[in-house]
Amino acid sequence: MPSQPIDQFARELSPETRASVYQSTKTTHEKRTKLLFDQFADPNRLRTLAGEIKQHAIENLDTLLPQVEARLTGNGAKVHWASTAQGACEAVLRIMQARGATKLVKAKTMVSEEIELAHFLEGHGIEALETDLGEFIVQIDHDHPSHIVRPIIHKNRREIARSFEREGLGAYDDDPGTITRRARHYLRHKYLAADVGLTGANFVSAESGRIVLVTNEGNSRFCLAATKCHIALVGIEKIVPRDRDLAVLLNLLGRSGTAQELTVYTEFIGGPKSAAQPDGPEEMHVIFVDNGRTEVLASECREILRCIRCGACLNVCPVYRQASGHAYRSVYPGPVGAVLSPLLAGERFPQLADLPKASSLCGACNEVCPVNIPIPDLLLRLRQRAKEENVPSPGTPPMGAWALLASQPTAWRAALAGGRLMNHVPTKLIPVPALQAWAAQRELPAWRGGEFRKWLRQRRSR
Amino acid sequence: MLNSERSPITGKRVQLMATCLCDAFYDDVAAATVEVLEHLGVEVGFPESQTCCGQPAFNGGDWAASRKVVRHTVRTFAGDEPVVVPSGSCAAMLFHGAVLEFERERDLPEVEALGRRTWELADFIVNGLGVSSWEGRFEATVAFHRSCHSRGTASGEAALTLLRSVPGLRIVEFGEGEQCCGFGGTFSVSFPNISAAMGTLKLEHVRAALPDVFVSADMSCLMHLGGLAAREGKPIRIRHLAQVLRDALKGGIRE
Amino acid sequence: MSDDREAIFSRVRGALAPLRVRAPLPQYDTEIAVLRQVLAGRDLAELFGERIRKVGGLAFFTPAALVAHLRTGGRLHGYCDPVLWPGLAPHFGAGFQVETAFDRTRVDDYAFGITRAAGAIAETGTIILNDAATSCRLGALAPWVHVAVVERSSLFADLPQAVAGLGDDRNVVWCTGPSKTADVEGILIEGVHGPGEQIALVV
Ligand code: SF4
Repeated sequence: MPSQPIDQFARELSPETRASVYQSTKTTHEKRTKLLFDQFADPNRLRTLAGEIKQHAIENLDTLLPQVEARLTGNGAKVHWASTAQGACEAVLRIMQARGATKLVKAKTMVSEEIELAHFLEGHGIEALETDLGEFIVQIDHDHPSHIVRPIIHKNRREIARSFEREGLGAYDDDPGTITRRARHYLRHKYLAADVGLTGANFVSAESGRIVLVTNEGNSRFCLAATKCHIALVGIEKIVPRDRDLAVLLNLLGRSGTAQELTVYTEFIGGPKSAAQPDGPEEMHVIFVDNGRTEVLASECREILRCIRCGACLNVCPVYRQASGHAYRSVYPGPVGAVLSPLLAGERFPQLADLPKASSLCGACNEVCPVNIPIPDLLLRLRQRAKEENVPSPGTPPMGAWALLASQPTAWRAALAGGRLMNHVPTKLIPVPALQAWAAQRELPAWRGGEFRKWLRQRRSR
Repeated sequence: MLNSERSPITGKRVQLMATCLCDAFYDDVAAATVEVLEHLGVEVGFPESQTCCGQPAFNGGDWAASRKVVRHTVRTFAGDEPVVVPSGSCAAMLFHGAVLEFERERDLPEVEALGRRTWELADFIVNGLGVSSWEGRFEATVAFHRSCHSRGTASGEAALTLLRSVPGLRIVEFGEGEQCCGFGGTFSVSFPNISAAMGTLKLEHVRAALPDVFVSADMSCLMHLGGLAAREGKPIRIRHLAQVLRDALKGGIRE
Repeated sequence: MSDDREAIFSRVRGALAPLRVRAPLPQYDTEIAVLRQVLAGRDLAELFGERIRKVGGLAFFTPAALVAHLRTGGRLHGYCDPVLWPGLAPHFGAGFQVETAFDRTRVDDYAFGITRAAGAIAETGTIILNDAATSCRLGALAPWVHVAVVERSSLFADLPQAVAGLGDDRNVVWCTGPSKTADVEGILIEGVHGPGEQIALVV
């Protein structure tokens, strides 16, 4: 039986990559668990609450979006709306062109990956430089991130040192401290020379219009200290109803994502800089991006819009650990990606319809998710959608005949007795592909169909 | 994950859902379940027309096929007695999965009603019957795999409560206990490499803990891990929780 | 674009229309998000000092201790908020060169930057900066050592209190320890784009 694309990818993955992905995800996951359970009396209650807050927000976007728009405008920011990836890219370009700007520094934002912004801007003669260390390395390597929080989890220091050498950032040196210092020196002058700083948003409070940005490296802070214009690219699902909800979500985000009580920089941006402040953007633009989100909102998988992109589900996921992020062929890998990517793909759903199959449905993702998204249920819904749309699925045994058998007790009992023949046939000759595939790797236990029923009858007749 | 409050236990009669795996391969597990329940004074009924819980098609995305099987199961287990299942995964199919795939169906209430009286074995003993200790003797070191379908339910804790109370039985912890074994139903055949890699990792952790017996409350995990171990030429001794409880009553491990 | 605005709003309305009930806004006591056992019975300044060290930062309670630290590290050239400098200058002896205007064309010249904090959070060891209190965003970010002068009276106990106290400043930044990354093989490196040393001087 042919296996699924993600399984094939896993088979071909270098053992080195697999080992580094496994090691870092395992370590982060274990630290996260310890931190949450040592410190909070009832972390699961906290997760449920956070889920309820976000669920309320996405189910009330019709009132919260206009509210946040009014707040932001009142705070002196300019609000833009983009239905599509193309529209979002063009909105950034228009803002740049209106300022006569040619240089942009950007902090890590998943939306910009989604809309392939850097690529678009470069095509229009604009330098769009990644400043998050991992994203910077991805950019110079023309690679793709393989984890939503740790973009280069798939790379080792030697590969990085070679890239730095190639880019003229210093002679080969694979010490992570040296690599980091070199990036520090290179990038700080880039910030200072840039016209525009682009960020995403982790949360936007509808109550105050504050945009909350969470980073560790301080790069988004540098973007907003050095440049004169701030553009925030924000998925429409990032809204939270009130400022007070931020305390709950921030407590969970750092712990779930990187096993920190709080990430190093948490920025609350309510508008352009104040008049007395010498540094920072005088102009602030917020671009709200749909790019398929309203379709997700209309679907029965809308819970996935609660996601706060912490990466905990990737870290705990046994399939992600074996296959790594690129196996998912999309911006969002792992369990969250297996739900979100096919949904955001719109008409290209069939191309990514195999992603939801890449799960043993073990439920570990739901158990760690800080907003308690029932990921396995959503994976199942998408499997059903793929089946309804007749998307071919390699390696999935057809279920029609089985269902017929399992709803006819007489036939079922006959099959139980008949299966016994298998014990006398080499596994290779068993005419059931699923059993053969099973037996390719594992011993099949002896068939004892009907034995229990016989035993029970005897016991009862004693 | 429980979808709704369960019906309280009244009377001491249950219906046994043996599961298709026990029906086809693991008759002794079903037999042990009967003996364990009868030891507790429970009268066990066995509807002869039972087949499968419908999970394979449900997980495969073929909900129409799965619903056909679930409807058959609902008819088979009619009445209001508790349905006891020696498998967390089949039990969860009835109280969670089936409810999901029947969301838009007219007969949802019947499916929900069955879900409310469906119990995984350990959960039934501990939380249904209120029995929290076990007698007899089982002189062995046990590694217990909490199967994934017990996440968010009381089953894992219930099984451990029972095991811990068995005289002579010692539980050993092993690494990454919360991780899946890699079975996952059709996942095991459509993702052969990942499934086997997950299983191998689980086996490494379990072997490192040096248990005499590897126990779970789901035969599916044990069939996968036991099958992998046997193929590696390093078989491990696997037992279902029901077998351990039954054997304890008879004085210990039986080969 | 305004077309996109209307299109998005109408798709959102369309998506939500079939929902018979909407998820209610949860009401809760923010106590659920407080590390009560960490805070119980503690002096906030002392706890803050302990927590900032736990995240890789430092706290000093006298200017003399700060100056000694800077001298030991060989950090002799820096920036200081002009409002703070008159009070601090007497503690800085000979050998220090301190500027009270930050020249962004010479970012690499400053080994330290001293700015005023708007507050701090004891529970997490966090320094709070904002546009009103902090004289210069770059001065608190570009030098290797950042020193925030934190007044005891401005300490918040926990995260929910600090959120409630965000005030009306357009730009509030919480800094919890030095700038860090673990992007390369998960190895923790401090001092990426921002300070490698995050110091609070509690007064
Ligand atoms: S789905 Fe949940 S666990 Fe996964 S990234 Fe999103 S918030 Fe984190």
